[in-house]
Amino acid sequence: MSLNSVLKSTTIADKILLALLILVSLSGIVFVKELLPEAKRVMIEVNGHPVYILPKDKDRTVSVEGPEGVTVIEIKDQRVRVTESPCHNKLCIRQGWIESGAIVCIPNRVVVTISNHEDESNKIVDAITG
Amino acid sequence: MIKITENRKPKIEINKFHYIIHSVHYLLFLTAYCLLVFFLYSCTSHKEKIYRKSKIVMDTFVSITAVSDSKAEAEKAIDAAFYEIERLEKLTNFFSENSELNQINRNAGISEVKISTDILNILDKALFVSKNTDAEFDVTIGPVSALYDFYKNIKPEEIEIKEKLPLVNYKDLIINKKKSTAFLRKKGMLIDLGGIAKGYAADKAEETLEKNGIRSGLVSIAGDIKAFGLKPDKRPWQIGIRNPRAEGKEDDVMTIVELSDMAISTSGDYQRFFIFNGKRYHHLLSPKTGYPAGRCQGVSVIAKEGVSADAFATGVFILGHEKGMKVLEKMGFEGLIVDNQGKVYTTQGIRGKVEFKQRS
Repeated sequence: MSLNSVLKSTTIADKILLALLILVSLSGIVFVKELLPEAKRVMIEVNGHPVYILPKDKDRTVSVEGPEGVTVIEIKDQRVRVTESPCHNKLCIRQGWIESGAIVCIPNRVVVTISNHEDESNKIVDAITG
Repeated sequence: MIKITENRKPKIEINKFHYIIHSVHYLLFLTAYCLLVFFLYSCTSHKEKIYRKSKIVMDTFVSITAVSDSKAEAEKAIDAAFYEIERLEKLTNFFSENSELNQINRNAGISEVKISTDILNILDKALFVSKNTDAEFDVTIGPVSALYDFYKNIKPEEIEIKEKLPLVNYKDLIINKKKSTAFLRKKGMLIDLGGIAKGYAADKAEETLEKNGIRSGLVSIAGDIKAFGLKPDKRPWQIGIRNPRAEGKEDDVMTIVELSDMAISTSGDYQRFFIFNGKRYHHLLSPKTGYPAGRCQGVSVIAKEGVSADAFATGVFILGHEKGMKVLEKMGFEGLIVDNQGKVYTTQGIRGKVEFKQRS
């Protein structure tokens, strides 16, 4: 059967069905790309090396060993905070709960970041000055 | 009646035949679309991606970003850039006994010291910035800055500041480009590169990324950011300028600027500070008074080179918005100044290009 006769025999309903099929399959791409990587995670690094990568939605408390001593990090209700730190000025503890961004403890070389995905193309801001 | 029923039979058969043909075609279409979707998806997942690594170097939070289609290439380049920053930290560290900077400081009033190209470049730029900021940016602030400790919340007595202030003068720092030497004229003088080294390191780290085959990326050393190339979506890098009075909230952004092949640096009184008797003591010290400068809350400077952006941000912060704005215009830089009342001033070039979020 030639292409012409196929085209002749297609009705409006066929075309609508075809358009729907295209729409469904294209939305599949969006679905896979946008919705699946949503799982937020909390990364805890010491001296530039990742020590923990934890899901943000599971409450727990972990401790890491830095050059100055032990830093304790708490994850609760999708938020993160530092509860104990050996550093002098305790800026990391004073920062309190965060829902996004990072807590950095420079004296103890501990960095806690909340990230969405390894590929950060969708971020609104790439860096912050100040 | 009979005729009609007779005619109906073959018609149904034709419809059946069409139905089968159509079904086959729909199946073919479906398969084709599945293949197309799979093809499109695999295309998007193999395109250029943004890779990022963070580390604490130069006593601050450093984050390096590289755009690449290969994770291995990006990581190799980022590691090389970190190595470069660590190398510069060793040269410029104020507190380390072994740094090249310390050699110059130890020999103050005694003898000139042979220096590397990096230190020569930084000192040369520092003197240029001092001359263009009415000496408000001055790397010889060392004897005074050493009196403060922003980690232990220590501020000096007035008599200590008065004693050290005569040692602060960039004109007593002599560099010889031909011989590649530096000399501090008076004994007790100290160079502190805290207001310029990070910007220089951002420039060098960016160069290292490029040497390693990266055509687009971002180096962020605390508030000193160097952006080059475009993001995978062909847009410039989006840099947020922090709201100076968003205590504790690091990601509270006042405005966003778009940058490509440019550097931005911010000096703010909220970066290293403590409050003593209700007064804010921060790290941006005036070389003329020895006390923290009080005219601004934050200054961001956009320039081609990170080293210029960094040093001019400090200088303009101490100068204040009136003189500071003139300096930015004279140098051809773009910038944004938040004065001590929270009022925002911007240069011509970014006026209208930056949008401000409602500030509370």
